[in-house]
Amino acid sequence: MNFLLGLQVGFREILAHKFRSFLTMLGVILGVASLLAMFGLTEGIARGMREQLEARGGIEKVQIETKDVSAELAEFSFLSRGRSLEDAEAIRVGAPLIDLVVPESNKNGFNLRRGSEVKRVRAVGTTPGYTDLNQMTVENGRNLCDLDLERGHRVVTLGRGMARELWPEDPEGDHTGEAVFLNDVPFRVVGIYEFMLTETAKREAVEAKSEAQAERRQRRGRGNTGRGRWRDPYFLQNSAVLIPLTTMVAEFKSAAVSNGVDAGPDLTLDSLDFRIRDTAYFEQALAQVENVLTRTHRGIDDFSFDTREDWADGIETSVRSTRISGGLIAGISLLVGGIGITNIMLASITERIREIGVRRAVGATGRDIFTQILVESIVIGVIGGLIGLATAGVLTHLLASLSPESNAPIVTMNAIGVSFSFAVIIGVFAGIYPAWKAARLDPIEALRYG
Amino acid sequence: MALIELRSVVKSYRVGEQKITALAGIDLEIDAGEYASIIGPSGSGKSTLMHLLGCLDTPTSGTVTIDGIEVSKSSADELSRMRNRKIGFVFQAFNLLSKLDVLRNVELPLIYSGVAGKERQARAREAIERVGLSERIHNTPLQLSGGQSQRVAIARALVTRPRIIFADEPTGNLDSHTGERILELFRELSESGSTIILVTHDHEIAEMTPRRIEIKDGLIVPPQEIPA
Repeated sequence: MNFLLGLQVGFREILAHKFRSFLTMLGVILGVASLLAMFGLTEGIARGMREQLEARGGIEKVQIETKDVSAELAEFSFLSRGRSLEDAEAIRVGAPLIDLVVPESNKNGFNLRRGSEVKRVRAVGTTPGYTDLNQMTVENGRNLCDLDLERGHRVVTLGRGMARELWPEDPEGDHTGEAVFLNDVPFRVVGIYEFMLTETAKREAVEAKSEAQAERRQRRGRGNTGRGRWRDPYFLQNSAVLIPLTTMVAEFKSAAVSNGVDAGPDLTLDSLDFRIRDTAYFEQALAQVENVLTRTHRGIDDFSFDTREDWADGIETSVRSTRISGGLIAGISLLVGGIGITNIMLASITERIREIGVRRAVGATGRDIFTQILVESIVIGVIGGLIGLATAGVLTHLLASLSPESNAPIVTMNAIGVSFSFAVIIGVFAGIYPAWKAARLDPIEALRYG
Repeated sequence: MALIELRSVVKSYRVGEQKITALAGIDLEIDAGEYASIIGPSGSGKSTLMHLLGCLDTPTSGTVTIDGIEVSKSSADELSRMRNRKIGFVFQAFNLLSKLDVLRNVELPLIYSGVAGKERQARAREAIERVGLSERIHNTPLQLSGGQSQRVAIARALVTRPRIIFADEPTGNLDSHTGERILELFRELSESGSTIILVTHDHEIAEMTPRRIEIKDGLIVPPQEIPA
């Protein structure tokens, strides 16, 4: 008997006992559904985490952090001025493996005023490279430029999210050329950056055909806790208030007076980030920067690197462990499903001993009977697997509406393939024992049975 | 050479500690085209004899040769092939598969011979026509009377064009009138050249066959002792 005929017989047998077959499949259905849903969930969580990482500049972005000076150098710590504009220039010149250095001098608690709208904001004094490092794109006007920096222009560029809050009557308009006030100092808006959407929000925008709606949801978050910055991974970019670094220093940080002497402008930086040209040379690039900084800091080890590598590794580890534990649980339910199939198949061959006897009498070999029962079990596994995939589709949709959307489950073709293969494998293994038992029935005994 | 040849065939079973000898040494020849009956009371060994002749079992000792092939030492797969190619069975309880319709029931042996779909159907229809059930081809066994069911079983036995047809108490589950019609059908088949062996405990039925083989206590009773 060939496989196709076996399939036919298997289908007929399943259709003849619809309810029983469904109950038999239930284990496989739930197993596959939970396996796939679990894959989707972990994939979604991983994607959410990667997106957060991406939003903060990917693993090629490194932050230079301040650090407590080691004990033996503590008394010389005055020798170092900390992170300064000088460092930025030195890295740019002395570390060829670095393709972008972005110094920041920030200040919190600015009153940003435009007409009657007043916002408490954090302004970032930086260089044009800031937008590049943070993947921001100009929508209206222009970016900050070197001339702004050189001349200390009073210009400001805004994230679209910030612009919307300042111009509630015209949230999407081009407001370049208009004036705003930072702590009552007038600044001219020269550029507005595009609103940045997460991948998920973009996809949803395509589905919903309404970008505005997707944006609103991204900002609001869909879960039950927190809003704004805690939900939107691109909060930094969308709410940006950028002014030239030199302007920041000259206008807002030049009142440093120590021991009654005007110390001149405060050139220490609040943040110093750089981007590595090629992550293949990650360690070498860090070493270059370390060399440069050791020199500019006169041997004082008051800096450290905050890389995203640990974070990226963390993502992979946590995803792997969730996948393993989730897979184990789903695997157990699949196994239970398999035992269910075996059990029902055993019952069904007991019911059909006579039929098996007749088939043997008219010439079926033991192998033919084996094939028939095995195919039946595989068919149950395959159909159960397919229904399971459909169930998983519904399940992930349900989960998607419950989980924060940056972590919404994603179903990949790979996960579908793996889950479905598991169902088929379970079908095969579940059928082997009953098939073997049926195949070695003695035809005479079988004919006499019942 | 005879179609069936048995030489000093012994078949014994072990039931726990006890050894039961079902056949105690049988020599038997049946020629092609014969219409014979095997008779004997229950426990005489006639079922065991039929199982051996039908390639469902192998003897403990002695040789069984069917159509020139010695099957006494054959493997299970070889026996399956013999049953499929050379032998047709008709059972007392019909043994049709209740989920399949008449056509599919009759097709069943051909599935295991690997006959392709179209030819399989054609041959099954031909066999069904021979037993006169063409108009019931798509009914399931549950929709048929006992006599009709037995006709389907006979069609199933005929469909592979076997050398021998075994009928084990074919009228046992039928009323006497229907039984007669079935025996009539066997006689017709015999007249058209089939070798038919009827297994029964009923002397009246055995009377209708030209040759009677009586079994008693695992041995063949010599012909002259059978009361005329």
